[in-house]
Amino acid sequence: MYLPGYYEFYSRVKMIAGHDALEKIPGALSDLHAKKPLIVTDKGVCHAGLIDIVTDAIKNSVTIGAIADDVPQDSDLQIVNRLATLYRENGCDSLIAVGGGSVMDTAKGINIVVSENTDDLMKFSGAGRLKRALKPLIVIPTTAGTGSEATLVAVIADHKRQRKMLFVSYFLVPDAAILDSRMTLSLHPVMTASTAMDALCHAIEAYTCLAKNPLSDSCALAAINLISGNLLKVMRNPGDKDGRLAMATGATLAGMAFSNSMVGMVHTLGHSVGSVCGAPHGMAMSLLLPYGLEYNMHKVDRFIAELLLPLAGSEIFTWTPKHLRAERVIEYVRQLNQGLHEATDGRHARFFKELLDRDGSPMVSKEKLSDIARAALGDGSLFYNPEELDYDDFLMVLEHAWEGVPLDRSRIKKG
Amino acid sequence: MGNYREVQAGSKPLKREYIMVMLWFVGRAIQAAARVDKAVREEFEQLPEGFTFALGVEPHGPYMIVGKNQKGRVKYLGWKTEDQHIDLKLKIKNIEAAVLLFTFQESTAVAFTRNRLIVDGEVPYACATARILDTAEVYLLPKLIARLAVKRYPLWSFRRKYIGRTRIYFRSLLGY
Amino acid sequence: MFMPDNYEFICPVKTNSGNRALEHLSFELEALSARKPLIVTDKNVTRRGLIRKMINAFKDSGVTIGIFDSIPDVPDMQLVTELSNIYRNGEHDAIVALGCGSIVDVAKVVNIAVSYNVRILRDLAGDNLIAHPLGPFVLVPTLTGNGYETSKFAFIEDLTFSSYFLMPDLVIVDSRTVKSESVQTTVATTMVALAHATEAYTGPAKNPLADTYAYAAIQYVKENLITVLKKPRDTEGLLALANAASMAGCAFSNMKPGLVHILGETISAMFHIAPGICMGILLPYGMEYTIQMNGYHAYDVLLPLSSFDEYAGTAENLKAGKAVNIMYEMQQDLYTVTGGKIPRTLEEANIPKYMVNDIAEKVFKDGAKEFGVDDYRMVLEHAWEGKPLSWV
Repeated sequence: MYLPGYYEFYSRVKMIAGHDALEKIPGALSDLHAKKPLIVTDKGVCHAGLIDIVTDAIKNSVTIGAIADDVPQDSDLQIVNRLATLYRENGCDSLIAVGGGSVMDTAKGINIVVSENTDDLMKFSGAGRLKRALKPLIVIPTTAGTGSEATLVAVIADHKRQRKMLFVSYFLVPDAAILDSRMTLSLHPVMTASTAMDALCHAIEAYTCLAKNPLSDSCALAAINLISGNLLKVMRNPGDKDGRLAMATGATLAGMAFSNSMVGMVHTLGHSVGSVCGAPHGMAMSLLLPYGLEYNMHKVDRFIAELLLPLAGSEIFTWTPKHLRAERVIEYVRQLNQGLHEATDGRHARFFKELLDRDGSPMVSKEKLSDIARAALGDGSLFYNPEELDYDDFLMVLEHAWEGVPLDRSRIKKG
Repeated sequence: MGNYREVQAGSKPLKREYIMVMLWFVGRAIQAAARVDKAVREEFEQLPEGFTFALGVEPHGPYMIVGKNQKGRVKYLGWKTEDQHIDLKLKIKNIEAAVLLFTFQESTAVAFTRNRLIVDGEVPYACATARILDTAEVYLLPKLIARLAVKRYPLWSFRRKYIGRTRIYFRSLLGY
Repeated sequence: MFMPDNYEFICPVKTNSGNRALEHLSFELEALSARKPLIVTDKNVTRRGLIRKMINAFKDSGVTIGIFDSIPDVPDMQLVTELSNIYRNGEHDAIVALGCGSIVDVAKVVNIAVSYNVRILRDLAGDNLIAHPLGPFVLVPTLTGNGYETSKFAFIEDLTFSSYFLMPDLVIVDSRTVKSESVQTTVATTMVALAHATEAYTGPAKNPLADTYAYAAIQYVKENLITVLKKPRDTEGLLALANAASMAGCAFSNMKPGLVHILGETISAMFHIAPGICMGILLPYGMEYTIQMNGYHAYDVLLPLSSFDEYAGTAENLKAGKAVNIMYEMQQDLYTVTGGKIPRTLEEANIPKYMVNDIAEKVFKDGAKEFGVDDYRMVLEHAWEGKPLSWV
């Protein structure tokens, strides 16, 4: 097992997982000396009936302060402030977030506001601005997933000033994460695919980037094993409870891994495509993943090769000669994307050219690639990538990912 | 109770001196590179008006500060952080971590990824600053050492590398 | 991959490991809102120059530290009271344990005493009676642990405290503090880590979260113990072993103690042999025993004990046997490399054969009822003789 010259690892979130994990929430709240939670969620989660399942599980032992279900698609400063007021008005003393990444980020943002009693969230943006513990926060993910239930970051958009605020602090990590299979049973196949690939990217990047360490490696290997071993199963049979629990566990493990080892160029480019063209996060990650592996291959091929076992299983691993394993990983990821493309009737895109919005128009035009490359230069995950990337490198990768052709590795400038 | 004592650990004067000298060189080299090198000039042009950043050691320095004045010229602004408005502060957590960085046992990228420093400011500025720092180091240091400091040693033309280096050395030492 | 139907896991321990990790201490204390730590350690540690290294690590930070350097091997409540007074009078706001074993027990109990009140200390002994987070507690281990350092347990006199709040906020594993002191202590520390991690990885409460800590620990021990014994200055190897010890304690805290732990601790107490040495003897036999038990996962430990290639290339029904064989080989290697200093059997450890029955009965009487007396006796008899079970 790889041992770096120096590393730090911290994952304080308490994990409660199972087919009836929700029923353990009252106990978790009481351990945290909390009595009156504000439930934060979004309309999608409500309409899927998931909030009812949560409240049914807890209402006999917990006084719910209020339920706020209007968190938008991406977390927003106005909502954070408004819900903080709701929290105070209802005399709440804790938060329960039920949803995906943006609901969890919103809850983290609300937690800063109510714990620090501030009216200016901006003051706390950046790293290390929080100096003490926040109010109790329990998170119930409904996708598998962004891993935000285990991470120390929150991203809140300030739409008025057209900017995204990044908050980084160990105090943001939730106190408890509840992984209940009921929460993802009704997850739509397209979402199942893209959130699973997001989690897979987290794990693969955590395993191959510069802040790699033994504990994040352990988390990443287990995450890849669980996700890869269960994704197509739950695509075919969405009601597979065991499969859903395995996917949820995998996504949380991936979150723990990348919260500590960070991510690399797949996220650098993925974030930028998201901010310039509004491309959905998970899908951007999954189609960029093979390109990131191709680009970094000359630096981390031995780590990529190791991923073949958890990714493809014992048989393929044993039958693939050692020196071909890393390439086989890239091939496997492309095959996975192809399988998901077919299982979602073409909605899961394999390259940017075929990434369409709800009306069927392409989301990423070739003209925008230069803007995306420029935006990528300002993304912090760049530090963690094994190889350097400048504007030309980003543009080159984007052009290949747009067209859907494997990366021309003779064009990689090697350090 | 004789087994208990209080201790004030003291300081590390030689290491501090070394870091002060290195920071001074790097600060002046960045000022020079902003005039001599096109890529560094362009990075600074992308940064906002009056942008100022500092790199140094917590908790008591030493620091180096570089910033753009109203005319857009990049200047090395010394080491006093108290009187300056600073947009981005790269704080190395302790003197030993600074020594690891400035003896090139850990490259800039490795220092970041090993949590040896804190970024106090906007992340995109930190990315730009890291690139500027890397370029300054490629100018200042012989290839053998610069390769330890940067993630990818660049392929520069003879003119850029050797003539540029000479100009930057002159300017760093003479301060213009 | 094995997925339980339900599980819980918590590990509130931050790990900083590697080159110049100690110098981060002042920053980390600041992050815990602490500015004046009390360092507790013993004369042995001081003799080895580690206190000097600790002081140097604080240079240039402006922090004042308090040092108490006489923790005895068998501390008592009087010492806890004395240290609580020192803590309060000196206006300290964090405890740093430099070393292992009783140093860490004292640090943890003093932390309870200063966070609550030393007078009600006895009332807090037991399982999960501590309801609130304690003051900041940092562990800087040496390679002399008993497996409980990063765990949720603390022991003093006849009291056992058990609470997740007792786990250190931060563990700093620095190459300069984890040197090999002696063959015996290095093996004892490492084998207790291997036993705890293996039992977590293969036991009935196995879950993917505990596995992450256990997996890394098992790998590090397997890959580094023998090489470190051959080359005691192998810094990277020592760092890996110290990491393993820290990780195993975290995994262990989320499990019920297993067969090897229970038997090992009992023998250790009865015969005054280091728990790690006892557990090292018992581990392959205990593992072999569980192969036949429902709900155990001995096959899976082949992965961290061998390599991806070996694991992937071994048939499912052969994995457990291979894993156990690797453990027997490791035992033999330990014996050979140390010139016979590390016993392979209970007989070699000078435990009389007629005591085997007494040990089995004591274990059962003390409350460990997961297995029957006959089961304990069988494992002990085989471990005495050095005869693998190979399904009897």
